[in-house]
Amino acid sequence: MLTLIRRELLDNLMTFRFAAAVFIMLLLVVANTVVLIKDYERRLVDYNTAVKTHHQQLQDKKTYSAGRLHVDRPPNPLSIFNIGMDKQLGNQVEVYFGFVPTLWDAKMHGSDNPIMNIFSSIDIAFIFKVVLSLLALIFAYDTLAGEREQGTLRLVLTHPVRRGHILFAKYMSAMVCLLVPLFMSVSLAVILLTTSTSISLSTDDFLRIVGFILTTIVYLSVFYLIGMLISAVTRRTGTALMLSMFVWGFWVLIYPNMVLASILPQRTVEARTASTFSQIEQLWEEFEKEQEQYLKNDAVPGENPGFGIGWVGSSMNRLNKDAATLQYYYKKGMDISELDERSEPLMPHVQSYYQFLVPLTIDMADRTWLIRKPALEKIFVHPARIDRILLKVSPIGMYDAATQAWVGTDLLGIRDFFRAARQYRRVFINFFYDKNAFAARQWIAADKGAADWRTLPQFSFQRSGIGINVKRAFPDLCLLLITNVVLFVVIFLIFIKSEV
Amino acid sequence: MWHIAKRELYDNLNSLRFALATVLLLGLMLTNAAVYLHEHPKRIQKYNASINEALTGVTTRAESLYTLAQEGPGLLYKKPSTLRFCAEGGEPFLPNVVGGTFLWSSSGGLKGFWRLNYPSTSPNLTDIRPNVTKVDWAFIIGYVLSLIAILFTFDAVSGERERGTLRLMLANPIPRHTVLIGKLLGALISVSIPFALAVLMNLLVISTSSTVQLGADAWGRLGIIFFIALLYASLFLALGLLVSARVSRSAVSLVILLLIWVTFVVFVPSTLASIAGGFSSPMSTDELWQRRGELYAKRWERYDAYFAERVERSKEIQFKGEHVIAEAEEQERVNEEHLAQQIAQVKFARGTTRVSPIAISQHLFESFAGTGFERHLQFLENARTHARQFRKFIADTDSGDPESSHIIGIREGMSEKPVNPAAVPKFEDMLNLSRDFNAALMDLLLLVLLFVVLLSGAYLAFVRVEV
Repeated sequence: MLTLIRRELLDNLMTFRFAAAVFIMLLLVVANTVVLIKDYERRLVDYNTAVKTHHQQLQDKKTYSAGRLHVDRPPNPLSIFNIGMDKQLGNQVEVYFGFVPTLWDAKMHGSDNPIMNIFSSIDIAFIFKVVLSLLALIFAYDTLAGEREQGTLRLVLTHPVRRGHILFAKYMSAMVCLLVPLFMSVSLAVILLTTSTSISLSTDDFLRIVGFILTTIVYLSVFYLIGMLISAVTRRTGTALMLSMFVWGFWVLIYPNMVLASILPQRTVEARTASTFSQIEQLWEEFEKEQEQYLKNDAVPGENPGFGIGWVGSSMNRLNKDAATLQYYYKKGMDISELDERSEPLMPHVQSYYQFLVPLTIDMADRTWLIRKPALEKIFVHPARIDRILLKVSPIGMYDAATQAWVGTDLLGIRDFFRAARQYRRVFINFFYDKNAFAARQWIAADKGAADWRTLPQFSFQRSGIGINVKRAFPDLCLLLITNVVLFVVIFLIFIKSEV
Repeated sequence: MWHIAKRELYDNLNSLRFALATVLLLGLMLTNAAVYLHEHPKRIQKYNASINEALTGVTTRAESLYTLAQEGPGLLYKKPSTLRFCAEGGEPFLPNVVGGTFLWSSSGGLKGFWRLNYPSTSPNLTDIRPNVTKVDWAFIIGYVLSLIAILFTFDAVSGERERGTLRLMLANPIPRHTVLIGKLLGALISVSIPFALAVLMNLLVISTSSTVQLGADAWGRLGIIFFIALLYASLFLALGLLVSARVSRSAVSLVILLLIWVTFVVFVPSTLASIAGGFSSPMSTDELWQRRGELYAKRWERYDAYFAERVERSKEIQFKGEHVIAEAEEQERVNEEHLAQQIAQVKFARGTTRVSPIAISQHLFESFAGTGFERHLQFLENARTHARQFRKFIADTDSGDPESSHIIGIREGMSEKPVNPAAVPKFEDMLNLSRDFNAALMDLLLLVLLFVVLLSGAYLAFVRVEV
C-alpha cells in the first residue's frame, strides 16, 4: 500500500502540471491578498471615521429626545478569505427608541469611489474555487484512463494488490500533491495578514482559518473524485479530459449563474408586502388617536402638541415610511435652547405630555416589530434562502456557503450585527428609564442643563464565537463529506467491475 | 486549404465537445433571453414614469421664469439601453440620474441657484440574495466561448502528431501555412456553428416578444457584436494552435492553455483593476463636503462684508445676483472636480485591464450595446449639454421680457412671467453610434493586433515543428 502511494506521489510531483499549479496559485494568492488587505484597511479607516463622527454627533445633542445614535458594523478581517456579504450590505444603522432597526434599514458609510465597484473583486475562496478545482480535475483525468491506455494498470493488477488499495493510494497521493500549493498559498496569505499592522487576529480567528482550510481540502477532494469518476468510466484520456473540462465549466461558471437567473421573484410577495404595510399603518393610526385623546383630555386647552410655548431651538416631527421595506415610524423631539419666560408655567404640561408619549412610542415600535419581523423573513429572507439551497446543488455552492460560515461573512453573520443593534436599543431605552429621562426637563429643553450622555454604555459588536461558526458551517461541510463518500463508493464499484 | 478546413469541420461535428458546446451555449443564451424579457419592461416602465414625473415638475415650476431658473429642470435620467442583454456593463453600480440642487441660504431671504449635482449610486442594500455575475452575452462570449475555443484547438497539432496523422498530411505537397489556416478556419467554423445557433435562438425569443422592439440600429449593433465575438473566439483558437504546435503532448497543451485562460480571463481583469485603483485616491466624500462647506462659508463672508457698509438699492440687487450665481458655479465646479477624479481613477483601472483580451472585448460589447462606463460618460456629457441649453434658454427668455432688469439669480432682478412648459428644452438621452465607433476603434485594433501576433506566433511555431 505504502509503495503504491510512494510511486504515485513521485509520479505526480515530478510533473509539469504540478510546478505550474504551485506557481499560478502562489502568484494569484499573493497578488490578491495584498489587494484585499489594502481594501480591508481602507474600510477600517472608513469605519473608524464613522464611529468617531457618530460619537461626536451624539455628544453634540443637548436634549435626550434629539439623541439618536448610529452604530457601525466593523469590517471583518477574515473577509479576505471570503468576502461574502460583508461589503454588499449596509454597515451603519440608526438606533432610536421609537424604532426597531433591521438589516433593511441600514445605510452604507465610506466608499470614496462607488464607480470602482464595476470591477468585480476576488477573494481567496474564489481563487481556490476556480483554480484548485481545475487543478484537481487536471490531476485526476488520467489516473485510471491513462494507466489503462499505457497498459500499466494491467501490470499493477497482476500483483496481488486489491483494487480498493490502488484506488485509495492514487487518491491519497494526488491529494497530498494538491495540498502542497494549498498550504503554501494559505500560509503566505496568513503571513501577509499578520504583517499588516491594522489587522490583529485572535486565536479564534486562527481556528476559523483552520476551518476554512479543512473545508477547502474536502472541496478539493470532491473535484478530484469527480475527475477520477470520469477517468474510470472513459476509455481514452482525451475524452476524459474533455468531459472533465465541460463538467468543470458547468459547475463553476454556468450552474451558479444560470440557476439564479432563472428564478424569478414571485408575485405573491408584493401582495404580502402591501397587506403587512397597511396593518402597520393601522397600528400607527391608533397611536395618533391615542395621542389626540391625551391632548384633548389634558389640563391645557386645545390639541396643539406644541402647547403654544414660545421658544428658540429646533424640533422635529417626521414620519419615516417605506412601503418596500415595511418601515414606519415617527421621529418626534425638541431641542429648546432658549425658553420664553412666560411659557415657563406650561413646561410641566409639556414634560408630562412627553412622559406619556415616549413609552407609548416604544411600545408601538415593539408591536410594529412583532408584525414586521415575520413579514421580512417571509418576503426577503425566505427567497434568499431558497437561492442558497439551489446553489448548493453544485459543490461550489456548498464550499462557498461553508467558508462564508467559517469566516462569518454569511447572511447570518451579518444579521448578528443587527441583532446586536436591536439589543443595544434596549440598552439605550433602559438608560433613559434609569435616568427617568422622559420626565426630565432635558428631554426637550437644554436651557437649564444639557443631557448627560456619559453613562450611556458604548456599543460594541463582537463577531459570533467560534462555536457558532462551527455550527453554521457544519451542515455544508457534512454535505461536502457525504458527496465525497458517495463519489468514492461509486468509483470503487465501477473500478471493481471494470475490465482492464 | 478548404479541403483541410472541411476535414477539420467534419471531425469536430461528430465529436463529443461539439455536442456539449451546443448544449451549453443554447442553455445560456435562452436563460439570458428569459431574464432580459422579465426585467427589461420593468426598467422601461420605471424610466418612463420618472421622465413623466420630471416633466410634471417642470410644468409646475414654469409658472414663473424665476422659479424655473432657480429650481432647475428637475432630474435627468439615463435611458436604459435595449441591448442590455448583450453587456450588463456594471450598470447597477453606475448612477442612472444626474440631479440638480440649490442651497437654501441661511440669511437675507436669499435663495441659492440651481446647479448640476452628481449623486452617487445608492447600491441596493436590501438585496440579500447571493451575488453572482449576470449571464449576459459578454459573459457567455468572454468566459464560455473562449473556453470552448481552447477545447477545440488544444489538440489540433499535438493530437495529430500523437496519432501520426500529421506526418501523413505533411507528406502531401501542401505548404504548412495552408494547413495552419485550414485548421484555424475549420475550428472557427465549428465554434461558430453552435454559437450562431445559440445567438439566433436568443434573438428569436427576444424579437418575438411584444414588449421589446429592436430597431434597424439595434440589429446593426448586434451584427457588430457578433463579429467581435468571432474575432475574440479566433484569438483563442490561434492561442490554442500556438500552444498546441509548441508542445508535444496534447494533455500538456491543455494544461498550459487552461492556466493561461484562468490567469488572463478570470483573474487579470479584476486583480489588475484593483491594483491600478489603489494607485490614485480621488477626493473622498468627506473631503468633498468639507470643501463645499468652506467655499460656502467664504462666499457668505464676502456677502456679509459687502453689506456691512451701506449700498444703493440698485447695486444691491446686482451684487446679490452675482453672489448667487457665483456660489452656484463654485459648488458646481467642486462637484465636477470630484467626479472627474473618480472618473480618472476608473479610466486608469480600465486602461490597465486592457492587458487581458476579455477586458478588451468587454469594453467593445459595452460600447456597442450602449451600456457600461463609456456610455455613462456619454450620459454625463449629454446632461452637461442640457444644462447649458437650459441656462441659455433662461437667459434668452429673460432678455425677451422688457419688465425684467436682467439680473439672473434673484427674484427681484428677473422676469416672473409664466413660461410655456413646452418651450423648455427637454432632456433626451441619446445614443450615438459614430461616437461608439470612435471609442471602440482602439479596442478593436488592439484585439486585431493581438490576433495577428498570436497567429504569426502559431505560424512560426508550426513551421518549425518537427513531425
